[in-house]
Amino acid sequence: MRIIWIKIFFLLFFLAISVRLFYWQVIRAPFLQAQAEDQHFTDAKVSALRGNIYFTDYAILASSNPSYSLFANPKILSDKQKVDFSYRLAKILSEDGNVDDLAKGFIASLSKDLYWVSLRKNIVFEKKKQIEDLNVAGIGFDQTNTRFYPEGSSSAHLLGFVGMDGKGENKGYFGLEGYYDGELKGTSGLIRHEKDAMGLPILIGNFETTEARNGKDLVLNIDRSVQYIVEQSLKSGIEKYGAKAASAVVMDPKTGAILALASYPSYDPQKYFNFPKEFYKNSVVADQYEPGSTFKVLVMASAINEDLLKPDTKCDICSGSVSLGGFDIRTWDNKYYPDSTMKDVIVHSDNTGMVFTAKKLGLDKFYSYVSNFGFGSSTNVDLQDESSPDIRPKKSWKEIDLATASFGQGIAVTPIQMVSAVSVIANGGFLMEPHVVKTIKDNSNFYEIKPKIIRQVLKKSTTNTIKEMMVAAVDEGEAKFFKVKGFKVAGKTGTAQIPVAGHYDSAHTIASFVGFAPADDPKFVVLVRYDEPKASIYGAETAAPTFFDIAKELFSYYKIAPSE
Amino acid sequence: MTIIKKFDPVEEKSIRLPKKYIVLVVFSFFILTIINIWASNTVVSYGDKFENLSNMSRKLQTENQVLQNQIAKNISLNNVASKSAELGFLKTESIQYIR
Repeated sequence: MRIIWIKIFFLLFFLAISVRLFYWQVIRAPFLQAQAEDQHFTDAKVSALRGNIYFTDYAILASSNPSYSLFANPKILSDKQKVDFSYRLAKILSEDGNVDDLAKGFIASLSKDLYWVSLRKNIVFEKKKQIEDLNVAGIGFDQTNTRFYPEGSSSAHLLGFVGMDGKGENKGYFGLEGYYDGELKGTSGLIRHEKDAMGLPILIGNFETTEARNGKDLVLNIDRSVQYIVEQSLKSGIEKYGAKAASAVVMDPKTGAILALASYPSYDPQKYFNFPKEFYKNSVVADQYEPGSTFKVLVMASAINEDLLKPDTKCDICSGSVSLGGFDIRTWDNKYYPDSTMKDVIVHSDNTGMVFTAKKLGLDKFYSYVSNFGFGSSTNVDLQDESSPDIRPKKSWKEIDLATASFGQGIAVTPIQMVSAVSVIANGGFLMEPHVVKTIKDNSNFYEIKPKIIRQVLKKSTTNTIKEMMVAAVDEGEAKFFKVKGFKVAGKTGTAQIPVAGHYDSAHTIASFVGFAPADDPKFVVLVRYDEPKASIYGAETAAPTFFDIAKELFSYYKIAPSE
Repeated sequence: MTIIKKFDPVEEKSIRLPKKYIVLVVFSFFILTIINIWASNTVVSYGDKFENLSNMSRKLQTENQVLQNQIAKNISLNNVASKSAELGFLKTESIQYIR
């Protein structure tokens, strides 16, 4: 009997041990494994570098710069060392010469009863080296990367900026940084290896790596010199003419490549938080405006394309103002030229002549050409903040709407739409998709963005005809005094009144000029626009001179010799 | 007559390895064990060197990045224009074309 009880006792004891072993080895196994791995493995995140952005000549427009956060272990430093270190650190990091206050702040941080305190963030590489040379124990650095713009605030609207998203990760906003954020940001990696008691890697231990994939680089169509020329001309113009805002865009009409784009007021993408949010908007792609007389060349081209008019067709309503739907349509200078030809209508920028043209074209064809030229829809330019103003439904248009739209009032466009439309005339009739980026590349792949034809809008013969009319507008129109001698330039001025509280304010205008050169084989199309210039309300006296300043520099830069 | 063959038990012939081979094998295992311990100890200490090399590589890459950015800043057109003005360079006012 005693043997049986002993056997039962051993059996129960054996069962208890088995149950306990089962509990620890099966039920709690994942937890214990995780703890063991935690003790034996170390994980190091390998940050991915954000991709660089280059000009067309591979000069850097945006790149990453290392930035450091300084931390310290107050328990290691004695009180005397804390004071000494704080003053030496303050001397290195002080920006306004106020070393005492800065040092007191550091002393306060180091006096905390903690094992880890943060002392300063966003320390640059050179200052980090100076701090390391102090040879103070108990301090360390965490490295991050911040965006660096060697051209300063140049090209701010093209670039956008890099801020933080809701999770504290870097994210691009506006411009290229926003549009190509996915390509630029890359993917972080992880290094997981066994560590010894000192925390050093064990080479023969387990070693797992997930490689970080740095972001892709962007090479732009933007020409650094052309960008500089445009920015300087615009900056000088906005001061000279007292305008509220200004913008300019240069495009290669044959490919749709954006060669330069500038907008004022601007901001510093490195310190974007110091500027009003309204400044972030790129007015070239996001701002809508009434194009005024610059629109006339497109309406005229449409009528000529339909074989409804010729350059020598005479206008039979141009001897005075035109009454329509209770409104009186006059010319900008109240001068009238009876029996004007269509060429004269463009040269004199004659609103009554445009009413004649629009009547010949008719609403259906006019509306169709407006759509074909790309208005009312996005151009698909690769910048984040593009918007496209709607064109009112055709059935809501009255006779007066067609009339005013023929000279660019009562219809809203963006500058990028306008320059793309005029490029149709420059390149022989094709609407091109505008693009800022030329290639996207990483270590192993290279993707080129090829020019894209959206559609053919005009016949080649039409473009030749309208080009000559635009050359005449430059040679004989209001902007003739600013023309660059020896070069054949096609262009058109625009002075659009700004609608204020339901009526047009003649004292406040959008002054613009759009043109291309050399007219026979255009190398560039340029649109310049000033918002509410004070020196003069007219495009011929503000935007046109700036256009010709830019054109003169571009002729020299592209080594284009005079043809006349 | 009954012949009874007497079967003498056959003595099993024992296969005996020469002593020297056994000693050689044991000695070899001993040497290999010593080598294994030595190699593990040596490789483990390389973790320190590996860490130093990794740090140096990262530091050089960072310095390279900083230098590239410094070069980019120095050749930026704003900087070049400013330095040109300091050196007395002037903007071209007119260009003469010769045919």
